[in-house]
Amino acid sequence: MSTRSPAALWQSLLKQLWLPVLCVAVLLLATAGSTSFYFPPATDVLATLWRELLHGGLVGDLLFSLRNIALGLALATVVGVGAGLVIGEIDLLRQATGPLLDFARATPTVAFVPVIILTLGIGSGPKIFLIALGSLWPILLNTISGVHGINPAVHETARGYRIPWRLRLSKVVLPGALPQIFAGIRVALSIAVVLMVVSEIYGSPVGLGNFILQSGSGFAVPETWAGTVLIGILGYGLSVLLLAAEYLLLGWYHQRPPRARRPMSRPLSRSEAKT
Amino acid sequence: MMQRHMKTGGGGSSLVVEDVCKTFGHGADEHRVIEGLSLRVDPGEFVCVVGPSGAGKTTLLRCLSGLIRPTTGTIRYGGELLTRPHADIAVVFQDYRGSLLPWMRVRDNVAFPLEGMGVKRAERNRRAEECLGAVGLADVGDKYPWQLSGGMQQRVAIARGLAYEAPVLLMDEPFGSVDAQSRFDLEDLTLSLRASLGITVVLVTHDIDEAVYLGDRVVVIGGRPTTVVDNLVVDLGADRDQITTRADHRFTDLRTRVLTMIREAQAQAQGEGPTVRSESTSEEPAPDRSPGDAMGGATGGTGRGDGPAREKTGRAVR
Ligand SMILES: Nc1ncnc2c1ncn2[C@@H]1O[C@H](COP(=O)(O)OP(=O)(O)OP(=O)(O)O)[C@@H](O)[C@H]1O
Ligand SMILES: [Mg+2]
Repeated sequence: MSTRSPAALWQSLLKQLWLPVLCVAVLLLATAGSTSFYFPPATDVLATLWRELLHGGLVGDLLFSLRNIALGLALATVVGVGAGLVIGEIDLLRQATGPLLDFARATPTVAFVPVIILTLGIGSGPKIFLIALGSLWPILLNTISGVHGINPAVHETARGYRIPWRLRLSKVVLPGALPQIFAGIRVALSIAVVLMVVSEIYGSPVGLGNFILQSGSGFAVPETWAGTVLIGILGYGLSVLLLAAEYLLLGWYHQRPPRARRPMSRPLSRSEAKT
Repeated sequence: MMQRHMKTGGGGSSLVVEDVCKTFGHGADEHRVIEGLSLRVDPGEFVCVVGPSGAGKTTLLRCLSGLIRPTTGTIRYGGELLTRPHADIAVVFQDYRGSLLPWMRVRDNVAFPLEGMGVKRAERNRRAEECLGAVGLADVGDKYPWQLSGGMQQRVAIARGLAYEAPVLLMDEPFGSVDAQSRFDLEDLTLSLRASLGITVVLVTHDIDEAVYLGDRVVVIGGRPTTVVDNLVVDLGADRDQITTRADHRFTDLRTRVLTMIREAQAQAQGEGPTVRSESTSEEPAPDRSPGDAMGGATGGTGRGDGPAREKTGRAVR
């Protein structure tokens, strides 16, 4: 899609990378030779991480967590986008579901963790359910508002040329709402990571959350740090994947000159504070 | 010229508008835009509807396309009540920017209505390219609409209307934002397409010269609320030429007559009823203006900014 030369690509990479590199360097230098029990040298943490991944059971934990979050998010996306397209298209439904959805959004899903684990058990099913439940609302609400925000002229065109409803849904409504849908998934991702960790801390024999809980209560400080860093890397990796998908699917939106881009309301940015 | 795979032969059926009123809003906001408008368009006819900006031309065209229902009165296509968009009727919208889908390439935009009809991809693309070629945009199929200029986008919208291959083509100020030269070319293109395909065209414009140059018949609308104020046959024959036709005395006579009618209707509307006097307090965007101004608008220029590159000069001076 992009026609930039390799040199230009390097330049933009450099512009974005120098600060993270600097941060890591400062961290390594500042903790080098640290004798503090709670803040071991960063090199120790990384070495522990490496060792645990190779020889400990950390890969199993990572895969368990990754699977849960991927399935939970996928479920939330399918349900949220599907329902959002229908609700957004049908005015009556949109108005009727409004208060209910606002209520659901305002209720933090973490509060459900004990209840769900209690009733559904400690397997991965309830965890996937929790992640999906928490991620659903931002995706659903953003899809609805994305559909609703599509230029009326677009709808009129589709109607005027008698586009059948299935084609209209897949080629008019879905792409029209896609920028907002991605914004919703981005919010959902951060909620999903929180729910993943919490659901594994609260009653689970496996997973990254369980790993940091166990290491923490056993005063294995480098292991705790290693698990925490790995969770951070996991979350970051997922959001990079999301950005890549967005770049592929929304090229038209991001490359459009600013004057042609419609101002979109982003009612959900608030909910980032939630969970 | 272009090959057609017409759903129905030639210009389809006749479009009959009977005593149509259209009101927007309710209660205190109620606002009657069109009142008692009757109109008949026969198969194969080229009818131009001309009226000042804000007269309700777009509203009338949306009624004709079945997108909205008139408040009272009927619109029939081939004797059948038009309650929703009909397969025989293609529309070129005034708001071309909003009506081209920004996530589709130009070719896909033009071919999209065909996809809705279930035409195979190869055939769709072939027809789309053909229609893009016809409007002089053979090489932009792979671009996105927002990468094109306003005038080019407008031509893409026309190409999409042509690709639909409907016997009736409704056009809402389709040449609003192209330069004078392209505008002449597009006018001639429309005439030749119409001649070769035998389609029915209803073209709405506020440009009197354009209406007279293109139409077999010019329907002048005006007044408040808007109704038909004149209906005149253009006896200029089928072969028209931008230079000689426009210099023809029959052309200038017709133009003068249309202009007079619009002025009279406007003056009458101004002199009538208290709603019309409240020019400064009126909430409607466009229709309130002095008679002189309305004339200016009608000759091609002072409309509200619905086309970024609209020419400011009257066409009579060119
Ligand atoms: N959906 C609507 N709701 C309320 N009022 C409307 C609506 N559509 C049009 N109007 C009103 O109807 C009148 C005519 O509008 P319309 O767009 O049909 O004019 P027009 O002749 O096409 O103008 P222009 O030449 O500027 O395109 C205007 O006063 C407008 O405010
Ligand atoms: Mg209009």
